[in-house]
Amino acid sequence: MTNSMNEAIEALGAFQPTIEVIDEREIKVSVSPDKVISTLELLKSLGYSHLSLLTCIDWIDDNQFELVYILFSWKDGGKFIVSTRIDRNNPRFVTVKEIWPVARFYEREIHEFFGVKFIGNDDMRPLFLELWDDKPPLRKDFDPLEYSKKKFPGREYRKDVLGEAKKIFRGEING
Amino acid sequence: MKERTIWERIADNLRSRSIWMLHYCTGCGAVELPPSMTSRFDMERFGIMPMATPRQADILLITGYLNTKTLRRVIYTYEQMPDPKYVVGFGSCTINGGIYFDSYATVNRLDYYIPVDVYIAGCMPRPEAILEAFNYLMEKIRKGEANGWKRYKENYEWYKQNQIRSLGEVYVHDEFHE
Ligand code: SF4
Repeated sequence: MTNSMNEAIEALGAFQPTIEVIDEREIKVSVSPDKVISTLELLKSLGYSHLSLLTCIDWIDDNQFELVYILFSWKDGGKFIVSTRIDRNNPRFVTVKEIWPVARFYEREIHEFFGVKFIGNDDMRPLFLELWDDKPPLRKDFDPLEYSKKKFPGREYRKDVLGEAKKIFRGEING
Repeated sequence: MKERTIWERIADNLRSRSIWMLHYCTGCGAVELPPSMTSRFDMERFGIMPMATPRQADILLITGYLNTKTLRRVIYTYEQMPDPKYVVGFGSCTINGGIYFDSYATVNRLDYYIPVDVYIAGCMPRPEAILEAFNYLMEKIRKGEANGWKRYKENYEWYKQNQIRSLGEVYVHDEFHE
């Protein structure tokens, strides 16, 4: 851990985060949803000013979405992963587009692929999908194979009778 | 089939020797094109040349997976090309969806939406396979068998139905088309 990371962890103490050291320059900080914005602002002021990624994970068994903010420092290459969990049934969170303007695209993407709404960001137009007509595709309860079968007919192959006869002969499958 | 006149046969012979190729590089297979075009395999000795615009191209080469968003643009591109036009489907993704067969966005067979004259199997096909396929296509053009563009006209309704079924709507709404 670099010095500036130690300092940052000390400064974060007030938010009672769960801290997990992943490797030398990478630390995961889990905080409760109401403390995320202040955590992010604090880290930004400490030099972790580059939002590398904002993404979402579907923990379907816990009925939660995990929002993950990855912050990078150009001073010493340190990385903070700030994560929080929100309710999956009513997924809403506040936008960070005031802190990092680029976040509005990440938020559009998460809205499109997970269905999380970001309050304060009213540009929620689809970013990648066109004419999407099902539940958000990266949710764990969405079945891509089923959807693909319904939407995109596949090729039908003739049955390989000879090949199968050989397998039966060799005893690999039951005839 | 109708007997071809001598002029059609001459024209087909000439066509097969100067094919300009629009390479619509959708997928990873496109990385096999630079070696096929440059000095080692040198595609141009067969009269195959890359072309930048659909309005001057004879071949539409689709090098891999197509998702719904891309397919709309591919159909636009195909319809801009003048007759006669040929389509080469490149890589297993165009044949049966390849490793993306169960994706929510990737179409599973190209010939359902636009007519394909030659498929190149493989993930990804080697330059030798590409040249072999082009040789085969030239052969087909000379014999007057590369009739995808005619099939598209004759079965336009069928193709359109398939396109709409999978895409919802073929019309593209973005800043370049409105
Ligand atoms: S067939 Fe293989 S190489 Fe070609 S686009 Fe699909 S995955 Fe990529």
